[in-house]
Amino acid sequence: MSATTASPAPTTAGGPTGMVGRSTGDRIILALTIATAVIMMAPLVWVVALSLKDNKELMASMNAVFHAPYTLQNYLNILTTSSVFRWILNSLIVSGGVTLGTLVLCSLAGYGFARLNFPFRNALFVIVLVGLAIPEQAVLIARHQLFSWVKLHNTYPGLILPWLSAPFGVFLMTQYFRAIPKELDEAALLDNASRFKIFWKVLLPLTVPAQATLGIFTFLSVWNDYFWPLISGTKKEMYTLTVGIASTQTNFAQSEGLGFLMSQAVFASAPILILYLFFQKYIVTAVSGAAVR
Amino acid sequence: MADLALARKAETTEAATGRRRVQNVNAPLWRNAIFVAPYLVFFVLLLLVPLFWGMWMSLHKADAFSTGRFVGLANYTRLFNDRIFLQAIGNTFYFVLLTVPALALIGLLLALALNRQTRTAAVLRTIFFASSVLSVTIVTLIWRIVFVPGFGLLSTVYGWFGATSPAFLSDPKLVMIAIAIATIWWCIGLPMMLFLSALQQIPGDIYEAAALDNAGRWRTFRSITFPSIKRTFVLVVVIQIVLQFQLFGQARLMTNGGPNNVSTPLVLYIYDAAFKRWDLGLGAAASEVLFALILIAAMIQYAVSRRKGEDA
Amino acid sequence: MHVWRTSILAAASALAVMAATPSFAATELSLQRFFGACDADFGSNTDVAKAVGECGIITSMINKFNADNPDVHVSVTTVEWPGYDQLTAQFAAGDPPDIVSIHHSALSDYQSKGLLMPLDEVLASVGVKPGDFTDAARGGVTKDGQIYGLPIDNWTMLYHINMDLFKQADLVNADGTPKLPTSVDEQLAQAKQFREKTGKPYFVQNLANEVALYTRNFYTYLFQQDSDFFADPLKVKLKTPEAKKVLDMYKAIYDQGDTTKDMDYAASINAFLAGEGGVHLNGTWVIGDYTASSETAGTALNKGGYAVYPYPQLFPGKKAQYADGHAWGISQKDRSPEEVAAIGKFLKFFKDNDFEWSRTGHLPAVKAVFEMPEFKALPHRDTVAPIATLGTALPSTVQRQFAIQDIIGQEMNAAMTGQKDVDAALGDMENRINDLLANL
Repeated sequence: MSATTASPAPTTAGGPTGMVGRSTGDRIILALTIATAVIMMAPLVWVVALSLKDNKELMASMNAVFHAPYTLQNYLNILTTSSVFRWILNSLIVSGGVTLGTLVLCSLAGYGFARLNFPFRNALFVIVLVGLAIPEQAVLIARHQLFSWVKLHNTYPGLILPWLSAPFGVFLMTQYFRAIPKELDEAALLDNASRFKIFWKVLLPLTVPAQATLGIFTFLSVWNDYFWPLISGTKKEMYTLTVGIASTQTNFAQSEGLGFLMSQAVFASAPILILYLFFQKYIVTAVSGAAVR
Repeated sequence: MADLALARKAETTEAATGRRRVQNVNAPLWRNAIFVAPYLVFFVLLLLVPLFWGMWMSLHKADAFSTGRFVGLANYTRLFNDRIFLQAIGNTFYFVLLTVPALALIGLLLALALNRQTRTAAVLRTIFFASSVLSVTIVTLIWRIVFVPGFGLLSTVYGWFGATSPAFLSDPKLVMIAIAIATIWWCIGLPMMLFLSALQQIPGDIYEAAALDNAGRWRTFRSITFPSIKRTFVLVVVIQIVLQFQLFGQARLMTNGGPNNVSTPLVLYIYDAAFKRWDLGLGAAASEVLFALILIAAMIQYAVSRRKGEDA
Repeated sequence: MHVWRTSILAAASALAVMAATPSFAATELSLQRFFGACDADFGSNTDVAKAVGECGIITSMINKFNADNPDVHVSVTTVEWPGYDQLTAQFAAGDPPDIVSIHHSALSDYQSKGLLMPLDEVLASVGVKPGDFTDAARGGVTKDGQIYGLPIDNWTMLYHINMDLFKQADLVNADGTPKLPTSVDEQLAQAKQFREKTGKPYFVQNLANEVALYTRNFYTYLFQQDSDFFADPLKVKLKTPEAKKVLDMYKAIYDQGDTTKDMDYAASINAFLAGEGGVHLNGTWVIGDYTASSETAGTALNKGGYAVYPYPQLFPGKKAQYADGHAWGISQKDRSPEEVAAIGKFLKFFKDNDFEWSRTGHLPAVKAVFEMPEFKALPHRDTVAPIATLGTALPSTVQRQFAIQDIIGQEMNAAMTGQKDVDAALGDMENRINDLLANL
């Protein structure tokens, strides 16, 4: 991917661009940035620390956070919630399904809008763009009624399909395809390659950075979504992790089990954070690749 | 699996018809639409149809269990006579004003500071982006635990200095700021990344020339860096305006719109109308107003990017 | 092809087996409830006596019901409190659970749309009589003369008292009971005395990010003035001298610093347990936790003890305070006689075991429980038992009580903190609620 003209591949870009050398100014900036990072991290550290404390001890005094003993009991309690692995699986299926579907649909549509001419193309593209402005809440209720009629609630398609209509990916992919030099497919056309072949063999490989960006952001948004799964996947076998975790909270959990609540928060975020750390280099590259156009 | 099947189907269709008229590559042909058709099916069924349905519903007295009766524009009249709705519009704009410039500026500063190839910079980039992957439920939980009086992180820190922390979640002057802080913390990763990538597009030799010229940091930024990333700056601002217009989770979970509705944004108003009052018609009408507002923002985006395109 | 045929055959034969042996298939009932999940501690516990807390007790009770009734199987889905978004969505989708936990105050929303099943016949068939329940509980679930839910409790707000601070403030009677006010002036005077002697606020209240506490306080003191503010369930009257008196009192308490400010629910509990105020206004459900804290050496409540009482009667009207309750609602749908019978069994089980549920701190819904020695032996039940007669709900036909609570809470907060004056707040309250109710 880094060999293409379309991908800016910033990790391989020439050295530091903003400031050259390491002056006092640089050091001050670095120190300030590190200080900001510490402030950024503080709430997270606070939450992790709370999650490692016994609930009763926290109820007596919050200062207990600052000293031992720490315990993993809260996490063990989550793991014994019988359905928690099912919820993770559901979240993986739904997020994965949406991501896959979005990539396929948006790549095809992006190529279509960017490269091919068909009647009403521009009008259609503008309509899709207008779709970007539709707030989720404006369509939620009607969608819910629609899905009731076709009996899609409490099914995986019911949780996956609504996302496939999101216009953002089409917009992103169209922009990306447009940025690829036309000479590439014109050459292929002269070779008598079919439109699909050009798309599949020549252009699609060049869009991997955009695919990665779109895929990651889609996956993240779906993983973190709360409201649609709350009202569509209402059976506990169909709960996603966000809904499931919320359902285990007792009415007044914050006071009854602060540590437990925090461990739930950490637990629900852990898979996604690990995923992020694992792919983070790639994400940076990917975001960069897609952003500039 | 599904994509393979789709792909194959598309391939055979293409192969059958595609070879014959290569010459006329730019003619508008219906069969070319086959690439956008699958997406458009979803777009129409799951976005446009519900949208128009919602518009239709906004003209009705409706609840979750029936469409009720046609009332014309009565829901809209009610909305614009509702002080809290007008307040919610104001709150939404205020929130956009609080967050968008901050996100753009802090994002840019971080990107400038971290645009280097060192290990430290890489680690810091990871940290600043990490909060973006969390869900809104977690983000608000974290910030409630920070802001909560008595035993929150903030009051613990203030306590070390013998001071009392301000009531971020109940002082009417501070609640929106508290929500904005949590939001900036949550959303800062994306603008930073966008700016970083833009910075990396700037050819290094321009800077070398500037260094030879002995140009200062500020002058370099103003005359080289900023002009080169202007488009990204506009992009960031527009994306953030559209996103922050839809503030919901943070307000609902941190303050529930209070006190005295000073932190009720439009989407929370819609949610309350539809799900607490079961007044779907009113909620639908409010959604349409929000849609119109965002659409205006999007049109401004379009206009700006058009003009920008002519510049380039 | 092969695999398909095999699996269809397998499925068909499985179906045949199931159809042929109906007596072995337990009647399946779906139940949806809040109160959280606590599988770690009570996931398989059937010994209800061992369970503690709302979650533990309800989990164990349902486990026990399933164990005792092999012919019925209740499968539980837990939802985030209070779960009404989900429930409404399920009703709208035509796929509600059979049994659902519901507040008395929310029943009429669903009942008025014909979504709930009237239970009179079912209850009669298992020998549960309306007269078995306390007036407050029965009133909470009766709509249009029919019973729409099995009440399992009543709950209300209480004065949770730190006796150590009360002693310091000189607010203890000769017999060791706390001195509670009998009028608004006395309330304000005692709060002042408390503040001067202890240097701490009299009340611990959660006033931030909160609407329920305000509303419950407000209703209580309107009831005590015989204010019939919901004479018409579709039109509230709040621009009244009675309502003004209540708001004025709370505003005075706030202005004089006789209450904690800016705390949310969790912070208020922590503050009370840390001894930062005299009276915590909180529900029946914390009695157990506070009793436990008062029995632990070194805690603020252990120093001088913990007491809990209903709200004092501050006005000369009816002796009353606002109460709500939990119930099991049954969704309206076509059911086989076996299913209806299974539901009857389930409801009777909860009626028969209401004592176990009352160990949560909630008041029993079943009259007979009050006479049980086990109940009387529970801590502090002697002082809070009067709630059973004091407890008053809004008229049962008032709909959208959760939305109304939001409005009252918001406006009352604005009045107390001085963002609006009292008359303006009451005016807005009335207008907003009436607009809501005019558009049902």
